Order: sequence, then C-alpha cells, then structure tokens
Amino acid sequence: MMTRKMKPGLKKWLLAIFILSLGGASFVWYMFTLKHDDTAQLKVDFTVESLVFINDFKTDLTAANEKYSEKIVVVNGTVSEVEMADTTANIKMVDTTNGDYIIFAFQQQYLNDAKKLKPGEKVSIKGSCSNGDFSAILETYYVTFKRCTINK
Amino acid sequence: MKKGLLSLALVLTTGLLFAQKKTTTSAIINFDATTAIDALPKAENKTVISSLDTKTGKMAFEASIKNFSFTNPRIQEHFNNKGWMDSDQFPTATFVGAIGNIGAVKFSKDGTYPVNVMGNLSIHGITKSIEAKGSIVVKGGAITANSEFSVKLEDYGIDGGAVGAGKVSKEPTISVIAVY
Repeated sequence: MMTRKMKPGLKKWLLAIFILSLGGASFVWYMFTLKHDDTAQLKVDFTVESLVFINDFKTDLTAANEKYSEKIVVVNGTVSEVEMADTTANIKMVDTTNGDYIIFAFQQQYLNDAKKLKPGEKVSIKGSCSNGDFSAILETYYVTFKRCTINK
Repeated sequence: MKKGLLSLALVLTTGLLFAQKKTTTSAIINFDATTAIDALPKAENKTVISSLDTKTGKMAFEASIKNFSFTNPRIQEHFNNKGWMDSDQFPTATFVGAIGNIGAVKFSKDGTYPVNVMGNLSIHGITKSIEAKGSIVVKGGAITANSEFSVKLEDYGIDGGAVGAGKVSKEPTISVIAVY
C-alpha cells in the first residue's frame, strides 16, 4: 500500500488556516452572544444628588450630555412616582418647582425592586445615563436612564 | 365668599378630572430590524414621552435615541454611531400627528377602538409624513394606545453597511404602546 507524505510547508499552512478559522469563529460567536454586564457589578463613574444633577443639564445641556452620557451614574434622591407601563415600571425623581425630571428604566432582573418603591421614599439608583433633553411636549427638562438597579 | 371658593374648587377639580390632554413619560417603543441572518438588531425604549388630546385626537411622541436598549452592547454602539442614528447630532425621534377618526373613540366607555393615525415622523433629522393603523383601548378609566408600522430606513438617510449586507432590515418594524 502506498501512502503519500504531506509536504511540511503545506502542513504548516493548513494548521495556520485551521487556527485562524477557529479564532475567527470564536470571535464571531463572542460578538453575537455578547450581553450588557449586570449594572450592579459595574464601576461607578459619578455619584450625584437628583436636583443638582437635573440642574446640571438645565444649566448647560451640551456640557452635561458630554459629561454623563453613557456613563454609570448613581443618583441619590426621592421617588416622586412609580410609573407603571404595560408590564414594566419606571421610577421618576421630579423637581417639583418646575416639573423637570429624571426617569429610570430598570434591568429586567431588578424590575420587581422598582415596583416595590413608593413615592416619598429616599433611594439610591445606579444606571447607565442615556442623555438629557428638553421636551417640547411637556415643556420640561428630562434625563433618561437605562439598565438601572437599586444601589445597595 | 365661601360659595365662591367652593365653586372655584369644583371647577378646578372637574377640569383636572376631565383634562383633555393626557400625557405619559413611560410609553414603550420597540424597534425590530432583525433579518434571517441576524437576530440581534432589536431594541426597546421604555421612557418615551407622549401626549394625547382626547378631544381633538392630536398625538405626539418624543423618544431619546440613546435610551433604546439592545441586548448586545456592540449593536447598541453601532446603532448610535454615524451612518446609523448618529444620536449625538440627532438625539431625539419625534412624531406629531393626530388620530383621524377620534370621534369613533368613546373615552367614557370601556372598549377597543380601531384608529388611523397620520402625522410627521422625524428620525435622523429627516421628517416624513406617515400613516399607521392602531387601536385605543379604554379600560377602567385608563387609556392605552397601540400601533405597529414599518419605516424605510433609506427615507431617513440611514444606510449603514450592515443594511446593505442584509444584517439589518431595510424596513424595520416599530411598535408603540402608550398608557395615559
């Protein structure tokens, strides 16, 4: 029986292609299955008081957005409203002197914690600050957060 | 004097109870641009501002683009970048319009009422008129507006490479739920 011996150069090339393909497939798999980290485990970029925080946006919207947008922020304040919507609930902290507000949308696993909060309760909320803007509908300033959790 | 104050209080209370403009800051918009080869480009924004005037049918929405939350952080990053939504330059998507057949909705009677909505949708700095079908559900005093429609991304100048490569639908579906 005759067996053909593979050239050593070809063997190396095939091995390199195999390793590259494996690496590529792993990278694609990693990218496709990537998920946001649990906010509770993330490093805090800023800790602020709710009314001071709203005022930062009102004073200079552009500067505040540059500073806080997509950063992990802990906001200390008082719950003004637990706004139920469909199956979800958002927490609001409102500046009662003018209606400006911060609104927090919670991470799915922490939604029940949000639903348990009551207006008037002091709370510390940690989340990803999306941005602040002026609402033409409500004629107030607002700041939105996503993927929030109660800061413990 | 007492009668005058009582009348004023009654007028104010009645006005509040039957206020025509209903608002919410927790309307939900789901964005679904998934395709057969990519199930990732879909997101939800749960802090959309909306108003509904129950007398005139006027309706408005404001959605912060950066508050659309994707499960995959990389897709979220691409969504906000230039070539896609460019959310630093165009931070908000808005709709200003009205329910065409508002007379058919009985806000004092529980029920589900089919509605037609027309208006101007502004995304990525471009405004186009749209029409969509939806429903108003009245139940125990609560009003819920629902609608589902699709938009052509090219109409709004959105033409990122992923759209051409078939990873993002050219006509994503947008569904809206607002509880007033």
